Amino acid sequence: MSAQTLADRGQRLYTAIRGNESWSIGDRIGVGLAWLAGIGLCLIAAGILGYMLVRGVQYLNVSEVFSSPQPGLDQSETGGFLDPIQGTLIVTILGTAIAAPIGVATAVWLTEYGKPRGLARAVESAVEIVAGTPSIVLAIFGLLVFQQGIFSWFSVTGEGATPLGRSFIIAGSLMALIALPLIVGSTREALYSIPRHVREASYALGKDRASTIRRVLLPASRRGIGTGVVLGMGRIVGDTAIVFILLGATLQFEPEGAVPGWDVLKGTGSTLTTYVYQNSPAGEGGSPEKAYAAAFVLLMIVLVLNFGINLITRERQSMWGR
Amino acid sequence: MKRKLPIAALATIALSASLLAPTAASAKPSITMSGSTSVAPLAELLAKKYIASCGHCANFKLLQGGSDIGVADVAAGRVTIGMSSRDPKPSDPGGLVFYKVARDAVCIVSNNANKIPSIDTAGIQAIFGGGVRSWTQVPGSTQKGPIEIFVRSPGSGTQDAFQRIFMGSQKVFGGAEEKNSNGRVQAAVSSNPLAVGYVSLYFTSGTHTIPYKGVPCTLRNAKSGQYGGSRNFYMVTRGAAKGAAKQWIKWITRSGAARSVIGTEWVPLR
Amino acid sequence: MLSAGLLVLIGFMIVFVFSKAWPSFANNGLAWFGPGGDVDTQLAEIFNSPAESKSYNYTIHVWPMLWSTMLITGGAVILATFISVLSAMFIVEFAPAPVRAVLQPAIRLLAAVPSVIYGLIGLLVIVPFVGNHVITTHQKESVQYVIQLGGSSLIVGIVVLTVMITPIMVAIITDALHSVPRTWTEGAKALGVNRWRALRTVGVRAARPAIVAAAVLATARALGEAIMLSMVAGSSAFAPNPLDGLVFFYEPARTIAATIVDNADGLSVKPFGQTLYAFAAVLLISSAFLSFAGWAARQAMSKYTLGAR
Repeated sequence: MSAQTLADRGQRLYTAIRGNESWSIGDRIGVGLAWLAGIGLCLIAAGILGYMLVRGVQYLNVSEVFSSPQPGLDQSETGGFLDPIQGTLIVTILGTAIAAPIGVATAVWLTEYGKPRGLARAVESAVEIVAGTPSIVLAIFGLLVFQQGIFSWFSVTGEGATPLGRSFIIAGSLMALIALPLIVGSTREALYSIPRHVREASYALGKDRASTIRRVLLPASRRGIGTGVVLGMGRIVGDTAIVFILLGATLQFEPEGAVPGWDVLKGTGSTLTTYVYQNSPAGEGGSPEKAYAAAFVLLMIVLVLNFGINLITRERQSMWGR
Repeated sequence: MKRKLPIAALATIALSASLLAPTAASAKPSITMSGSTSVAPLAELLAKKYIASCGHCANFKLLQGGSDIGVADVAAGRVTIGMSSRDPKPSDPGGLVFYKVARDAVCIVSNNANKIPSIDTAGIQAIFGGGVRSWTQVPGSTQKGPIEIFVRSPGSGTQDAFQRIFMGSQKVFGGAEEKNSNGRVQAAVSSNPLAVGYVSLYFTSGTHTIPYKGVPCTLRNAKSGQYGGSRNFYMVTRGAAKGAAKQWIKWITRSGAARSVIGTEWVPLR
Repeated sequence: MLSAGLLVLIGFMIVFVFSKAWPSFANNGLAWFGPGGDVDTQLAEIFNSPAESKSYNYTIHVWPMLWSTMLITGGAVILATFISVLSAMFIVEFAPAPVRAVLQPAIRLLAAVPSVIYGLIGLLVIVPFVGNHVITTHQKESVQYVIQLGGSSLIVGIVVLTVMITPIMVAIITDALHSVPRTWTEGAKALGVNRWRALRTVGVRAARPAIVAAAVLATARALGEAIMLSMVAGSSAFAPNPLDGLVFFYEPARTIAATIVDNADGLSVKPFGQTLYAFAAVLLISSAFLSFAGWAARQAMSKYTLGAR
């Protein structure tokens, strides 16, 4: 067959498939709106990214990243945001460190064991409730709990008073709660996607359930766990409500007690998110420049985390041949 | 598995280190304070000076929220000292002791693009009460739009002082926008040409302070008593102050170093 | 057993919040939800109530806040649903490959941006623009005896919130549209239906459970959004009045979540704090209800269309 005949056949097939369709005005408007929506979203994303880039470059001095903030009414003379950056790091690491073991363990239990059924369903619902609860509600719940006397070693206790209820360790613990559903979800997905024959092969070889999980399933679902952890970190980095209520909003670190390390965790401080909030017109607001600079740094951190997720998920598709 | 192990190990090490380390060294008392956003900058400066002069003898934690919150917190035993920028009220919980530490002025502020030359009590009541809603009706104003009023939230001592000193029994306009700290009012007024509000003297930079009855709202006029809008700052404790709190309050009310700190932006008592 | 611990924790949270919230509900009964008076004034009076527990003042009627919450959340979700369905259709069918390659990371970017940055841009760019260039002085004066119009308003809140929740919905709906069997849509096209119609009648219908699920998820997210809305939608507990015409959109509106954030300092003051916990209880119930509603809706629809998990 000549190329021309093939081309003709292709053309006719194409027209046959497409049919003698007619496009009414309504349909055309529909397609137009779809284009508008898609391009619009692109433009908004580009706009936000571009605007933050412009403002960030305009207002960010690298020195700010490395100097501590000083309190003072005129923020333009008062140092940078080293402490808030460290605050963000501490809270994220703490939250992830607490959430990851609990989340993976819960997911493993739900998929591999899952009996008694009622308990499994209740745990699933609990995770969903936590996922759906606004972080502000979780924050005030945390305040309520940690102001009780039993939890006095989590935060400062004033002389003759009850515990403050605000500290890094408290904020970190509650951040773990918001990262938890993401970790549980991703791990479960990863575990589900491991075909049954893998487990059966492991049992056939004489391993029991616990060591199968440890040696075979968990390593195989590493990417899923990794995705969940990074997603959780992204959510923690971006959260403001919990930090706002539970971190005491002091500009610098104010460590408590004499134990190095633990004293910082027990003390108060701020993170990039509250720093941006406080410097915006919604807060004490003296310096939108600082707010832009800090917001730029925050956005970069979030983008890096996102990029990390892309890297992890890109490779995982080839795992089981799907 | 490999990923979780280092994190778990770190956590265990940190935890055990904290438990094993000597706890005697952390016996420094902590003083937690909450309350007035007007008193807060003064309290912070005083705390810094005190720590330096007594050799780190105490730790301070400062929250804000407004005078009423400070009073309620200290009465319920949630903080050691409450900061109040208003006088004790009959509705306050019992058993509280108010220690007067300084005096301060409440300034009426407008935007720098709207430099009003003077205002009297009737004018303030007309504007903040909602009787007059447009800048065109205010003598000396260079703006032409509707008046945008910024007030404080209910827990504020500055709001109490403003109501008592300037408004009397006249209620504030219900449509005014509430802010919960001096800093926020300052930010709002300095960025909006149509805005008007009231702040503590410390928070007036970036705004135009409107002279009250012809007397400008400055530190000198507040110290001399000429400015008509002054109010007291208090440190509040549950029962008489004890221990570290007592030492600190004694230092504030007696020492010369404290007096000079207060004298920078506020009115000392002696 | 860790999971059981989680269960206990969640149970504790619910019990704690409700026990703190109970006095506020008990003292107001059903009128708690009703209209009557200015919420800010009522909050002030609760705050100033005398110190003995017997004479605590709990009176509050939260209708203005409920109304604002419904307006902002509902408005944003409806707008977002339209935009997401259209965008998903665009991605699946009409977008040329290079545009698609840009659009998907763009949507992921939008989903990842923290809410405080949305609030910052909203507050520093959109609010002044609306306040100074969109709202005319005449409009401001028309309501000046009732409320003052800055730029922080209902419309800005709805718009920014829509941008925040759209990415979540687009991801879910695109997945669902992709998983519609191609034979279905190709069958429609073979019958002479054009691409748009085919996708709209076959694809979107098949993806309905996913659209509902996405809408429920987005509503839960919107309800809980406190920080961004408190920055951008105004800080008076005012109920925007539809009778004001266009000015309705320019009036400030404060949702329940934003009110909790704005008043968070007062959490430990007895009757005031309990009122705030009552607000939190309402949010808790709503999100639990939404989870359940989403599940139930998906169950109902799965009979007719593809199963969505």
